[in-house]
Amino acid sequence: MKRFGREHVALLALAVVLMTGACGSRAAREDERDGAGARGPAAASTPPKSSSIAPATMGAKAGPRPRIAILGDSLTAGLGLRQSQAYPTLLQQRLDDEGLNYEVVNAGVSGDTSAGGLARLDWALQGDVRILIVALGGNDALRALPTDQLRDNLATVIERAQARGVTVVLAGMEAPPNFGRDYIVAFHQVYPALVAKYHVAFVPFLLAGVAGIDSLNQPDGMHPTATGARIVADNVWKVLEPIAKEKRVETRSGT
Amino acid sequence: MMFVLRMAARETRSSWRRLLFFFICIAVGVAAIVTLRSVIQSVRQVFGTEAKALIAGDLLIATNREWTPEARQTIDRRLADAGVTDRTETMETPTMVRPADRTRQVAKMAELRAVQRGFPLYGAVELQGGQTYSHALLEGHGALVRPELLTSIGVAVGDQIIIGQTAFTIRGVIAREPGRGMGEFSLGPRVIIDFDDLPSTGLLSFGSRARRVVLVKLPDESRIEALVTTLRDDFRDDFINTRSFRSTEDQVGRDFDRAENYLSLVGLIIVILGGIAVSSVTRVFILQKIRSIAVLKCVGARSTQIVAVYLLQVVTLGLAGSLLGVALARGVVAAIPMALGGSTSLLATVHYGVTWSAATQGVGIGVLVSLLFSVVPLLHVRFIKPSLLLRDETVRRRMDWLGLGVLVAVSAALVALTAWQAASLKAGLVVCAGFAGLAFVLQLAGQGLITLVKPLAMSKSFPLRHAVLHLSRPGNQTRVILLAVGLGAFFIVGVRSLQGSLLSEFSVQVAADGPDMFLLDVQRAQADGVRAFLADPARDIGDFQLIPVLRGRVVGVSGRETNLEGADEVRQRGNSIGREFTLTYRDRLESNERVVDGAFWNGPSTEPEVSIEKQIAERAKIHVGDTMRFDILGQTVSPKVTSIRDVEWRESRNGGFVFVFRPGVLDKAPQTFVAPFRGPHDVTARARFQHDLVERFPNVSVIDFHEVLETIRDVMSKVTLAITVVGGLVLLSGVLILIGAVAMTKFQRVYEAAVFKTLGANTRTIAKMLLIEYGVLGSLAGLIGSLGAVALTWGVSKYALEIPWRIFPSEHTAGVLLTALLVAVIGVLSSLEVLRNKPLATLRAE
Repeated sequence: MKRFGREHVALLALAVVLMTGACGSRAAREDERDGAGARGPAAASTPPKSSSIAPATMGAKAGPRPRIAILGDSLTAGLGLRQSQAYPTLLQQRLDDEGLNYEVVNAGVSGDTSAGGLARLDWALQGDVRILIVALGGNDALRALPTDQLRDNLATVIERAQARGVTVVLAGMEAPPNFGRDYIVAFHQVYPALVAKYHVAFVPFLLAGVAGIDSLNQPDGMHPTATGARIVADNVWKVLEPIAKEKRVETRSGT
Repeated sequence: MMFVLRMAARETRSSWRRLLFFFICIAVGVAAIVTLRSVIQSVRQVFGTEAKALIAGDLLIATNREWTPEARQTIDRRLADAGVTDRTETMETPTMVRPADRTRQVAKMAELRAVQRGFPLYGAVELQGGQTYSHALLEGHGALVRPELLTSIGVAVGDQIIIGQTAFTIRGVIAREPGRGMGEFSLGPRVIIDFDDLPSTGLLSFGSRARRVVLVKLPDESRIEALVTTLRDDFRDDFINTRSFRSTEDQVGRDFDRAENYLSLVGLIIVILGGIAVSSVTRVFILQKIRSIAVLKCVGARSTQIVAVYLLQVVTLGLAGSLLGVALARGVVAAIPMALGGSTSLLATVHYGVTWSAATQGVGIGVLVSLLFSVVPLLHVRFIKPSLLLRDETVRRRMDWLGLGVLVAVSAALVALTAWQAASLKAGLVVCAGFAGLAFVLQLAGQGLITLVKPLAMSKSFPLRHAVLHLSRPGNQTRVILLAVGLGAFFIVGVRSLQGSLLSEFSVQVAADGPDMFLLDVQRAQADGVRAFLADPARDIGDFQLIPVLRGRVVGVSGRETNLEGADEVRQRGNSIGREFTLTYRDRLESNERVVDGAFWNGPSTEPEVSIEKQIAERAKIHVGDTMRFDILGQTVSPKVTSIRDVEWRESRNGGFVFVFRPGVLDKAPQTFVAPFRGPHDVTARARFQHDLVERFPNVSVIDFHEVLETIRDVMSKVTLAITVVGGLVLLSGVLILIGAVAMTKFQRVYEAAVFKTLGANTRTIAKMLLIEYGVLGSLAGLIGSLGAVALTWGVSKYALEIPWRIFPSEHTAGVLLTALLVAVIGVLSSLEVLRNKPLATLRAE
């Protein structure tokens, strides 16, 4: 057997665990440290005995509810944060506060690119998903992947979701300036073009008001802190709230 | 006083042959100490230089934010306080590089590094084609690039590339670069430009991701750690990291640390070995003098005078022997480069010479140890009565306050000496305790041996009978030889085994066929295509495997000992399982895995099952039969734990996973594949490979850590060679020391052999007798020493070096056999003179 040194393993682990760039281990540590005071409605429902796979709900209330799935990366997964601090949980709280009977499904995977998101779309759309928030592209940007690839992947995600009658909300992302003007311009243009083509609701920049501000980001400079995540939730909520309310009306009138 | 001097001189003249031997034994011991310490000091210096080249400075201060004016001020102030002579700044950022020729639509992600004139503070940037690096190459928009970049965007030296908004001319190709961060991986080839040209690229503005580094060189190495601590305190709440070249945060740092610990240990051990030799030689020497002392007492010499005479002799000889030892050491050290032959280039930078501190320490130890070990027996002189001469009775051991006091002082001095050598009181105490413990065991073994072989004293065979009797008669040397040889074998075998352990630890990292490339984010639909691509024999890559990976969190456990409900409870109470995990599923165990509980499945199943890594299972108190709940991308999967695996993380070629699922349930879940493998050997082939792969599978990322591994291999092979050289020296000097210690005991046997001869024993009988006596002693000493060495390697591996304990049965067996053989042969050989000559000469001389 060929051996594989610890160094390599560390590299591998690093590579596998956090493709988002640099900081995973520290974020993971903070994650554990923060764990002590965790509270909030992130309890998973007990799985039904009949099936080995069951939906993991984020809401406290039981019973099948229409779903809002968020297909995203580490920003959605809440890397370095407690689950209760991640923006999908905050959105769930706001929905609950507004009396909107939705269940938010956090389909965020750290390190996932648009290609990865596309690959697990079907999985994320299981159950009664009414709204799909697509929050992908961050890792495409960090790895400077070709922008046409990003556009094609996101387009396919939107097309497939719309074909199922799911309302799509697209959350935009920006490439950091260090990749040079050509790349960041090309990247920036992907999202508005998709919005125009598919008439989806649009959060222009998921990290608006957070990116680049030291105090709102974790030490890696990429992932929002708990305070930063609240701003992210605000950004999404502005767009999500009217849609969620409108859909509720539809649901009621329908039954 | 004159009497003392005159007596000392006369004594020396009369028994010069015996004294010469004493003198040589001390010289060998001291030579061993001085040689090893000198080599170790030089090697450590090389380690230091290598380690500094890895970060290109004594220490670095880095941040991925912009430097604030306050941070700058603090840094300036601290560096000025520490007397920093040299500093330089670099900035690193990932960016896109494209050819200046706009008609070609190709761009490649690269790791840009902007450096100032002072870079690097240690090590050197090596360029291809023998070109020498100077900062002038970068000035005026010049760039140095890695060969991979040339292939991937199709440019050559002399061409222009665009970085940001600016054109740069490629002026050279980087072969190796100091300060290529270890433990960091990169997604693109390196490009180096001038720090002053960076602003013109326009890459750095609000939201840019860049790492800013200040590299520092200190005139005084001892101030580095203090400066690191101060800066870490200063920037505790900022996003600024400080690390020194000694930092053990990565694998290479830890290995350097281990190598250094090993070397200090060896240095300490050789001092003890030398000390044992000197002490046993001193002891025999003094015992030989008892008759003369009795005579002196008869003619009216006072005890103090006698003690002074012999102390003076011992100190003079000790000093002279030590000085000879230093001279010998000089010769040996000078010969090392010759002995190494072709491989010297590896350690070419080592300065081969005896260092002053090593020489001083060696001489100090030679004199001190011979003095310390002669004081105790000399004190017995006070109890030697003139009647001894007439009655030939044995000296009765008596202990009075003075004797006890001296013994305590001697022991304290020894501990102090050891602690000084080990540069730590704790280490000194531990080593001395181990040493005393083993000495005690050896004493007991001596007693045991005497009782054990007693029946053999009735044997019909004359040599056997007398050999056995020799072991138990008054004036026997059982304990002396057992102690010296046993401890000697203990240390030599111990050092050899540790060396073996350490080197196999290092070889794991030096393995040339280990994976050095890594594919990431292969989508399910691409898996077959990637497999076919990698399997193409033209690619020249090693074995590969596509491993499915999924991300998941534990959100519940219901089991015998642990019951956790929900993600938050898992995070609060589930020890170490509260984080996000990378999961996989497969149908077989990797070769670095072993099932320690339960049974690993066979074939897929629709019922979910999971196998847990042992340590995590223990910490979280999860057992076979428990049920866990995982949240995998928003879906809950509740597998039963059916086995616990022991994973040898260090040898996990294919990553290593805490949770492995049984195939069947997760197959349909969203997953990507990763693939570790050994990439093509040739640098252009590697570049071509990456280029082709990314062209066909644009979303797949290739991580190439070949360059980082090369650096590690280079450094580790130097460390390995250094340790091998030191190990060889230990063996050589250890054996010489033991030869001296054993041969010295011949003076006890010479007279007896002569008597036996007079009584009619022939040379063969006496030789046989000696062979059996020394053979038994050697075997026992070797056995105890080798067994002790097992304990030593265990303790040192576990606590000092922090490496897994390995046992080398061949080393230990060889230790026993060779010790027995060596002792027996020396025992006979050193008495050769009396065996060959007529007995009368010996009898008269005595």
